[in-house]
Parts: sequence; C-alpha cells; structure tokens
Amino acid sequence: MNFDMPNFLPAMPEMFVLGMTSLILIIDLFLNERTRVVSYLLAQATLVGAFILSLSLYSGNAELSFSDTFVLDPMAGVLKMAVYATVFMVFLYSHSYLRERGLFRGEFFVLALFGVLGMMVLISAHSFLTIYLGLELMSLALYAMVAMQRDSRTASEAAMKYFILGAMASAMLLYGMSMLYGVTGTLELTELSRAVQQTQGDRLLLVFGLVFLLVGVAFKLGAVPFHMWVPDVYHGAPTAVTLFISTAPKLAGFAMLMRLMVDGLPGLQPQWHDILVLLAVLSIGVGNVVAIAQTNIKRMLAYSGISHAGFLLLGVLSGTPEGYAAGMFYAIVYTIMGLGGFGMVILMSRAGFEAEQLEDYKGLNQRSPWFALMMLFIMFSMAGVPPFIGFWAKLAVLQAVVSANLMWLAAVAVIFSVIGAFFYLRVIKLMYFDQAREQGSLKPGADLAVVLSANAIGILALGAFPGALMALCLQAMGA
Amino acid sequence: MNNSLLLPLILLPLFGALLPPLFHRFGRTASAWAAAVVVAAALLLLLSLLSPVFGGQTLLYHADWLPAYGLNLSLRLDGLSMLFALLILGIGLLVILYARYYLSERDPMGRFYGFLLLFMAAMLGVVLSENLLLMLVFWEMTSLSSFLLIGYWKYRADARQGARLALTITGAGGLSLLAGILLLGQISGSYELSVVLDSADIIQAHPLYPVTLVLILLGAFTKSAQFPFHFWLPHAMAAPTPVSAYLHSATMVKAGVFLLARLFPALAGTELWFYLVASTGMITLLLGAYHALFKHDLKGLLAYSTISHLGLITLLFGLGTPLGAVAGVFHIINHAIFKASLFMAAGIIDHESGTRDMHKLNGLWRYMPHTATLAMVAAASMAGVPLFNGFLSKEMFFAETLHQGWLGDWSWLLPLGATLAGVFAVAYSIRFIHDVFFNGEPIDLPRTPHEPPRYMKVPVEILVALCLLVGVVPAWTVAPLLATAASSTIGGELPRYSLAIWHGINTPLLMSLIAMLGGALMYALRHHLFALHARCFRPFDAKQVFERLLYKLILLARGLTEVLENGSLQRYLGLLIGSVVLVTGVALWDTPLSGPVPSAEVDAVTLVGALALAASALTTTIWHRHRLVALIQLSVVGLVVSVAFVRFAAPDLALTQLSVEMVTIILLMLVLYFLPQHTPAESSSLRKGRDLLLAGGAGASVALLAWGVLTRPYQTIGDYFMQQSLPGGGGHNVVNVILVDFRGFDTLGEVTVLGIAAIGILMLLRGLRLKMPAADGEGRPWASDRYPMILAVISRPLLPLALVVAIYLMLRGHNMPGGGFIAGLVTAIALILQYVASGIAWTRARMNINYIKLTATGVLLSTLTGLGSWLFGYPFLTSGFGHFHLPLVGEFELATAMLFDLGVYLAVIGSTLLVLANLGTLTLINREMAEEN
Repeated sequence: MNFDMPNFLPAMPEMFVLGMTSLILIIDLFLNERTRVVSYLLAQATLVGAFILSLSLYSGNAELSFSDTFVLDPMAGVLKMAVYATVFMVFLYSHSYLRERGLFRGEFFVLALFGVLGMMVLISAHSFLTIYLGLELMSLALYAMVAMQRDSRTASEAAMKYFILGAMASAMLLYGMSMLYGVTGTLELTELSRAVQQTQGDRLLLVFGLVFLLVGVAFKLGAVPFHMWVPDVYHGAPTAVTLFISTAPKLAGFAMLMRLMVDGLPGLQPQWHDILVLLAVLSIGVGNVVAIAQTNIKRMLAYSGISHAGFLLLGVLSGTPEGYAAGMFYAIVYTIMGLGGFGMVILMSRAGFEAEQLEDYKGLNQRSPWFALMMLFIMFSMAGVPPFIGFWAKLAVLQAVVSANLMWLAAVAVIFSVIGAFFYLRVIKLMYFDQAREQGSLKPGADLAVVLSANAIGILALGAFPGALMALCLQAMGA
Repeated sequence: MNNSLLLPLILLPLFGALLPPLFHRFGRTASAWAAAVVVAAALLLLLSLLSPVFGGQTLLYHADWLPAYGLNLSLRLDGLSMLFALLILGIGLLVILYARYYLSERDPMGRFYGFLLLFMAAMLGVVLSENLLLMLVFWEMTSLSSFLLIGYWKYRADARQGARLALTITGAGGLSLLAGILLLGQISGSYELSVVLDSADIIQAHPLYPVTLVLILLGAFTKSAQFPFHFWLPHAMAAPTPVSAYLHSATMVKAGVFLLARLFPALAGTELWFYLVASTGMITLLLGAYHALFKHDLKGLLAYSTISHLGLITLLFGLGTPLGAVAGVFHIINHAIFKASLFMAAGIIDHESGTRDMHKLNGLWRYMPHTATLAMVAAASMAGVPLFNGFLSKEMFFAETLHQGWLGDWSWLLPLGATLAGVFAVAYSIRFIHDVFFNGEPIDLPRTPHEPPRYMKVPVEILVALCLLVGVVPAWTVAPLLATAASSTIGGELPRYSLAIWHGINTPLLMSLIAMLGGALMYALRHHLFALHARCFRPFDAKQVFERLLYKLILLARGLTEVLENGSLQRYLGLLIGSVVLVTGVALWDTPLSGPVPSAEVDAVTLVGALALAASALTTTIWHRHRLVALIQLSVVGLVVSVAFVRFAAPDLALTQLSVEMVTIILLMLVLYFLPQHTPAESSSLRKGRDLLLAGGAGASVALLAWGVLTRPYQTIGDYFMQQSLPGGGGHNVVNVILVDFRGFDTLGEVTVLGIAAIGILMLLRGLRLKMPAADGEGRPWASDRYPMILAVISRPLLPLALVVAIYLMLRGHNMPGGGFIAGLVTAIALILQYVASGIAWTRARMNINYIKLTATGVLLSTLTGLGSWLFGYPFLTSGFGHFHLPLVGEFELATAMLFDLGVYLAVIGSTLLVLANLGTLTLINREMAEEN
C-alpha cells in the first residue's frame, strides 16, 4: 500500500502548535519558580503565532488534505481563530490566579496547548478517525487539567467523574462510528454522506449509529441528559481550569456537531433533527430551571452553560446555512460571555477565598461600582437582554427556528429564557441591592482589571455592532 | 428619503445620560441643568421637524445594522411618533425641573438624571423605530432603565421588590413580544413598519395570526399594566414621585398602548382583536377604577386610576374602529397631562407633609391653597368634568361604546361598563380632593405642611394650564396634533369627529351626567362602602400569587437538582445509560426489527457455548463478592469466548484471547492475594433493582440490534482483506497480515503504548511495599510448602518447549495461525510459570533479563523496520517479502513484516513480565525477612 505525500500547508497551524508545545514541555524542565514566566510567554506566543498562521491561510475555499481526513474551510478557520483568542484570554485571566495557588506550572500551559491542538484537529477533522483523535486529545488534556490541584478533594473527585463519564461517552461515540463504518465502509465524511444517501431500505444501523454519535457530541456540549458532569466539574476544578473547560471546548464541540451531522450525515437530517430538538428543549428547560436553585456561582454558570448549549443546538437543528451560522455565532458569543462570567469569579477570588458562593457577590456595588457594572453587562448579556451581544445570538437562533416553522420550539425557548432571566437578575440584585458581607473595596490586579473590563465592554460593543461577527459566521457557512 | 436629524434625537439623551453624573461634582443644580439642556436641545430639534410632520409627511432614516437578520437602524417620525416624542421630551423637561426640588440632599442627583435620560433615550427609540426589531431593543432598554429608576432608593426593600417585579413582568412581556415580532416579520416578509403596516390582509389571513397577535398583545399588556398583569404597577409606586409622574403618566406604561396604536392598521379590525383587546381593556378599566376608590395611599389611588385609564385606552383601540382609535389617541394625550400633574401634586403633598396616608391627610387647603387649586383642576379633568380636557375624550369614549357591532344582543354591556367605570372615576377623584384638602383637620402629620418652593409648582402649573386650554378651546390647541397623530395611527382617511364641547343633549352626555351624580352619591356613601369592601374582600394581592409561583419554581429547581445532581457517579452513569437506551428506543421505534434474511439454524454446540457464556457471566455478577469464585467464573467467560473464536474460524484470535486470559488471571491472582476474600454488601436492594433494569435495558438493546443486523443483508468488509491479504501483504493469515502490514502503523502504536503502560505501572509500584498477610481471609496460615516440587519440576522442561512453540508460531504466523503477539504471550506465560513455580529469587538468579531494555529493543526494532523501507524509497512500513525453506518448519515466507513481528514479540514479553514480575516482588522484602527468621 502506497501513500502520496500529503499537502502539509493546511495543517501548518496544527504543526506549529505541536512543535511549540513540545518545545515548551522541554524548556519548562529547565525553569524554576522565578523564570517560569517564560513558559507562560511562550504559550501566549504560540497562540499568537497560530492565529497569524490561520489568518494567512484563511480563504473562502475548502481544502482537503491527508487523504481527505483533514479539511481547512472557512468554518475551520474562523473557529480556530476564535479558539486561539479564547485561550489567549484564558491564560491572561489565569496568570495571577495560578500563581497565588501554587499552580503556576508548565503543565498547565502544556496541557492547555495540547487541548488546543485537539480542538484544532477536531475542528478541521474530515473523517471519523481525525474526529476521534482530536476529541480524545482535547479530552485527555482536560481531564488532567481538572486533576491538577492534587491536594483538593473536590478537584480530584471532579476529575474522576469527568474521566469516567467522558470515557463512557467516548466509547459510545466510537460504537456509533463503528456501526456507521460497518454499513458504509468508509470513515471519510464526504464518502459517508454519499453512501448514506444511497442506502436503500430501512436505516436501522444508520440511526443506531447516529444516536450514539449524538451522545458523544451532546456530552461534549453538555446538553441534557448528558450534562451530569458539567456542574460537578465546573465546580470542582480550579476556576482557571473551569474557565478553560467552559469556553474553548464548546467551539470545538460545535464544530464536531457540524462535521458529523451536516458534513457527514445530511442524509439522516430528519432523524438528527428530531433528536436535536429533544436535546435542545431538555437543555434549555433543565438548565434554566435548575440554575435557580444554585447557591454556588460556578454551578449556576454551569447550568447557564447547559441552557446555552440548548440554544446553540436550536441554530443547528433548523438545517439551513443561516441556522448553522446562527449556531456558530451563538457558540462564539457564549464563549465570550463565559469568559467574562468565570473571569469575574477569578477576579473576585484571592488565595484562600474562591468567591464561589453567590453570597460573596452581595453588595459588590459598594465595594467596586465599576466591576459591579461589568458583571451587570455580563449577566444581562447572558440573559439575552438587548443591546448586549447575547441578545443578538438569541435573536439569530430564534429566527432560524421560526424560519424552520418550529413556532412551538421558539415559544418554549422564549418561556424558559424568561425563567432563566430570573437567576441572572438575582446576581444583579445581590450586587446592587444587598449589603456587602465584607467591607473594603475590591482591588484586583491591574492585568485582571484590564482584561475583565475589556471583556465586558466588548460584550456591549459587540452588541452595538454585531454585524461584522455575524457576517463572518454567515460567510463561513456559505450562506 | 433619509432624514439625518432623527438619529441625534435619540443619541442626544443616550449620550447625554453621561453628563449629569459628570456634572454632579459641580453641585446638584449643575447636574439638573445638564440634563435639562440635553432634553431641551432634543426638544428643539424635534420642534424643527414639526411642520413637515404636520404637513402629513413621514420622515424616515435608514442605516444598515444587521441586514442579514432584517435588523436595520431605521427610524420613522410620523404623527403618532411626533405626539409621543413631544410627550416624552416635554413632560421629561418638567419632571427634571420638579425632581431638582423633590429629591433630598442625600439622594445622588447625578445618577438619577443619568438614569432618567437613559430611560428617555430608550423611550424615544421605541416611538421612533421604523424597524420592529429595533423597537424591541429599545423596548427592553426601557424595562432595564425603569428598573434602575424604580429601584433608585435601593435602601428601601419595597423599592427593590417593586423594581424586580416590574422588570420581571415587563421583561418577560418583552420576550414574548420578541417571539411575536419574529412571527410578524416572518409573515409579512419584513420587519420594516412601512411594509408591515401595508400587509394587513396577508397578516390577518395567515394561519399564525392568532398566535402572533396573542404574543404581541402579551408584550403590550404587560407593559401597560393590563389585567391580569396589572399588579406590578402599584408596587412600582415605591419609586421617587418624579419617576412615577414620568413613567406612569406619559411614558413607560404608555409604551404598551403605543404599540397597540402603532400596529393598529396591521392587526386591528378582526373579531379576535376585539374580543382580546376590548375585553382586557374593559376588565382593567373596571378593576382599576374599583380598586382606586379603596386605596388609602395617595399614590396607590393614582396608580390604580392609571391602570383604569390605560384600560380605557386599550378598550378604545380594541373596538377596532377608526373613531375608537382617534378617541384612544386623544385620551393618551389628556391622560398624560392630567396624570403627570396629579402625581406631581401628590409628590408635593408627600414632600411637604411627610406622608401619603389619606387617613392622616385632611384639610390641607388651609396650608397649601395654591397646590390644592392645581390638584383640583387636574382631578376634575381626571373625573371628566366639562371644560377640562378629560371630559372631551371621555365623551368620545362614551359615544364609541354605543357604536360597536360585535356583541349583538349584548351591546348594552359596553356602555354599562363604561358608565360604571365613570361613576367610580368621579368618586375617587372627589375623594382625592375632598379627603386630602378638606374633611376636617390633619391627624398627626410628621411635618407641618406648607407650600413647596416656587419652582416645584411651575411644572404642575404648566400642565394644569394645558388641561384647561385643551378643555376650553380644543380646536385651537390640540386639534392639529390630534389630527396628525390619529391619521398616522389609522393609516388612512380620518373619520369625521368633532372636538366641540357641546354636542347637544345626547346619550354620551347622559352617561356623563349619570357618572357625575353616581360618583358624588358613591362618595357620600363611602364609609358604608369601605365597610362593605373590608367585609367582603380579603386583601388580595396578585403579587403574592406571583411570589408563591416563584417559590414553587425554586422548589421545583431544588427537587430537580436533587434528582439529577446528587453528586453520585453511579447515578450519573445510570442516567447516561438510561438516556441512551431511551433515545435509541424512541429513534428506532418504527423501524421493523427483523430484516429479510432468514435466521440460520443453531447447532447444539453453539447453543451450549452461548448458554455457558451467559451463565458464567451471570454467576460472575451474582457472586462478585466472593472474589475467588468470581475469578473462576470470569475465566470461564474468557475461555468460552476463545472457543467461540475457534468456532467462527478465527484461531489467531482464539490463541491471543487464551493467552491474554491467562496473563490476566495471573495478574488478578496476584492482586487478590492482598484483598479480603469477601466484599461487604453495600448496595441497597432498590439500587440493585435499578442497576438490573439498566443492565437489562442495555443488554436487550444490544441483543435486539444484533438480531436486526443479522437478519439484514449487510455487506461485510472482510472480503476486501481476504482478497488483498496475499497480493498486498504476502500472507495467508489475514489477521496477522492486517496486524503487521495493513495496520502496521496501528500495531506499532499499540506496542509502544504497551511499553509506556508497563513503565508507567513500574513507576507507580516503585517504592510501594506491601505487608504480606500472615494468613488467608479465613485465618488459615499459608501452606509451608511454598514451591510445590511437582510444579517446579514440570515447569523446567516446559520452558524450552514453550520457546520452541513460540518461535514456531512466530515464523509461520504470516500464513498460519500465529504471529509475534501470540508468540510473545506464550513466551511470557512460560517465563511467568518459572516465577510462580520456583520463586522470584530462584528465577532471578538464573535469568537476569532487564525487561525495560527488552521492551525498548522490541519497539525500536519495529520502528527501524518501518524506517528501513525508506532506504529503498518506499513509504514508512512498506513490506517486502520472499520465500525460504527451513527443515521441520517447511516452506515459509520471510517478509520484512517478520522483523516487525519480532519487535512486537520482544515488546510483548518485556512489558508483560515487567508488570507481573514487579507485582510479584511487592512483598519481597517482607518475605525475605520472614524467611531469614
């Protein structure tokens, strides 16, 4: 069996990240506490470099490589750049958090970058093999990151749960893939979609495989009923890790959904449409209702993330390029808001005080009117209140659902958003109307203050000018 | 046509909102001035556009914002928007002046004016939007900024609750409005008002018209405090009075009726519209009027009266007739004027006397005659007394209730309800005046009342003057504004109507008369009525219902959390598997189970094998607490699986499975040594039942799937490998060719992983020393005969024999069952047997192999074989092969794959022994010490 030399150019960013990460891994061995900042700077440089590479490779066309197992199309380009930017922000946010807790180690950055590499592979995957490869590379890095704080009982427990449930979901994904491979004889997505379209007769195995694929995707996205890990892991992990897990992987999860369903199985659209409707309704419902009962802000944000995942699915299930663009827009917007939300938890915390309880936000307005205002932006945006960016994201997916003639679904989504608005509002009430438990103004580090302010003001600014990002998503989806 | 003056109209207050807080440092008056200048500028700008709008033009402004989603920054100024913009800016200016004197020293002025301007910008946005989505954005902004205004006195609990309640209700309404607008845009094809208003036919004939209408009305009704959403408004009275005067007379609550007016041409005129809007309006009108009479809080009275008047306006629009719409627009103007002045008057009273309780407030005429006069005029207007502006629109309203044709025989209901509401309105207006300004002496007021500062009264005076002017000479004052506003509301020809004060003696006048007399009578009998009311109606507040619902929701959320997220991994896994089974079942519900292929005969051997497999799997589960028994059962499972491979013509797999089984069992035995023989039972029977159900469900699903697949004619991929094995890889043994050639890269990876895993385990075990148990689980001491002679003797000749077998298996592996993997396992087992039979010390003395090096050599050899093909210009791991003859083994083929296989062989031996031998030495030190003793 002979191979042709593949075209390496589309995978330049991946190779760059791999090379740099390995380099950091080695360099870090020779660093000590004082010089460790080199690893951090190199990691940031890696992301910047990858961004430049991806940007220079960005074009309107799709390019296949590595025997059609790898694709670089506009969607991949945009999502990868979003991932770099997100992780760049995550590193900025985590820098001082990690230092204060003795977690500022090379592993954090190396694992995160390997996770990024996994996401990149997943985003550009064009075959079951690369999808699985990317997924596992990403997931394994995440499991390890959750467990990084070894002396924390909750972190270890969370990592264990995450790993076992994740392994289970991966196994199911593989099972589904093997079923589809058995029927169609191919792992490559274009061929798969052709083979599925040509399949005659009943679709027992195809649908069976589809269900298992969707279990894997739903698990990664944290959609109900495959969401159980989300609150426990978000809660248990160090906040810097939570910040990472809750943002960038969602973009990769969205890409995975798009690759598997839209690229690979358009022939089964009626079937996956139904399942996605179910997942979306459950996620939006459970996420918004259960969030109300939370007293821990990380858990609350976890449930909020679950309901956002449901909204993201709404865009995809409409089955039109506009809908996919809406889903992508939602994924990116959620990432920005998620960064802000958990970023705020980091900003509020200090060594020995994690600011995890909602009560810790009482009277924030007295302690720091500016950051209370920033948190207000973030919460309103998550609730989907205009003119913040979260509103446009909700609007886009709702429009997609309405144009797919699913009025009842739009109605359900709206009703649960109303319920959801309640718990975001509660945070605002705590910040503005309640008495602070601890006095003294909040004085975060200058870097954190700048990053969070930029993030929150970005939410407002993007809300005022959502056109460019939206146009980018539409272009990426060819709509 | 693009009128660029429209945008600054909104931007002025929007960015102007930043000024008052900035000017705050220059004093309270400075920030009031900043706000006033901004609003005055906007008002001047608006007035400059007055003449084209009065000329019947519609000014438009358009800029793209998010065109892909139909959202444009397009604004519109026609008669209706002009009217509202005038009210917003005009009354806004008065409120700014009023608030300067109303707010106390402690209240942060800058923030107040900032919020106020923000709200004003949002409100202007709502009335000036041409694009419906844009309107929605501003709509939500009004909810948010009013939240900030109502909760302005944040140290007061009622203010916080009121603000939250208002935001929750109006915000929720906004979201349903969003859904309604999305539908409306979908139906009419555009979100631009000019398109939507022209497509009334399409909209009203569309099957989704009812849904759209209900959703939009929900938005309007929540905002305008219509029944059953009216309850937020009285609680919003906790706001400072300037806020109430502004929000609840001219702006916030008027946004709802503005929406009714705006969409009147597109949505109104159907039966559904009439029943929904008119009946809601009627109920609200009566309910509000009734409650207003029984309120003892001055602002509470005004709040309910506002609800009632909003109901009146809603009712007018609900009639769906052009005249009704004209009357509605007219009453919007009048109500804004007299209600703003009344709120301000109530604020003055509260400010100067320190209370709003009408039990205490009596006989204020003596202390503040000027204010009293102003309040009396405004209240007369509210009651609809002739010569005041309220009278004119009320007459029109009475006339309209007589002329609707929807109710048939029940037509008398409307005028009856209207008159009844009129009676209440007169009664509560008299009460507002008589109770407060006359009716004896004040009862322990917190402060001695006196007239307020001069400028605090100016806004009230201006508004009251307007009441009179409009009431006396309507044709010279309000007529042109009303005509422009009404014609752009209706979107067509204006019907004939007259603003004359005297129409002759007719039914509406009669109704007015009845209302006056009835109201006066009702007020006279008020003490009896209050007593009756107190007896018959328990104080009921819809807010409590709302809060109870909220509480239930929180309970539900807590319950769900406990069910879904109790932190138990078992439950999560259960949910995961259960969901998968359920989703699969639902997705495949209507797929037939069996396919067309007839099931093959089952022979006895297979059946027995299958039963043995099932039985041993079952017994493993049942006896899993007896570890040794479970282990034995488990080995039976492995054995049957190996046999099954033989049965289905896969001897390679069978051999591998068998070897793997042995190694695993030995491994487990090594571990078992340290564990108690029994595990305590920890699971409750409920949990066992649940697990049984889950396992059964999952098992059944897989079984059904297998059945479904076996009865369908699926192509297998095996054929491809069958055909390609010899030409492509030079071997007959397909499994081996796949392993070392087709999937050579995989195998290389796996072997590497095996090596890494072994080294990982080694690292974990390093330094770990376990104490050897002195006795087994039952307390019996271990047998003294540690290394039984027979086993030791047998094991020694077995080693060379096993090695020969291994070499044989490896060499012929490419064509016959065998291969490096199996050979490696066979060798490993033979070596382990030496350890088991003769002890570690003995074996180590004679066979000192460094297993780490062995593993590394294996992996390296395999890799080098792969790299070797590069020397010949082939890609990685391309194999070459030739045939050779060896005595005893016979004709065999030597492929480069053999070299690769050798690497695999070495790596397997190395890593297996690395793990097992090291596990075996865990207690070595402990044991040696024991032996020495």
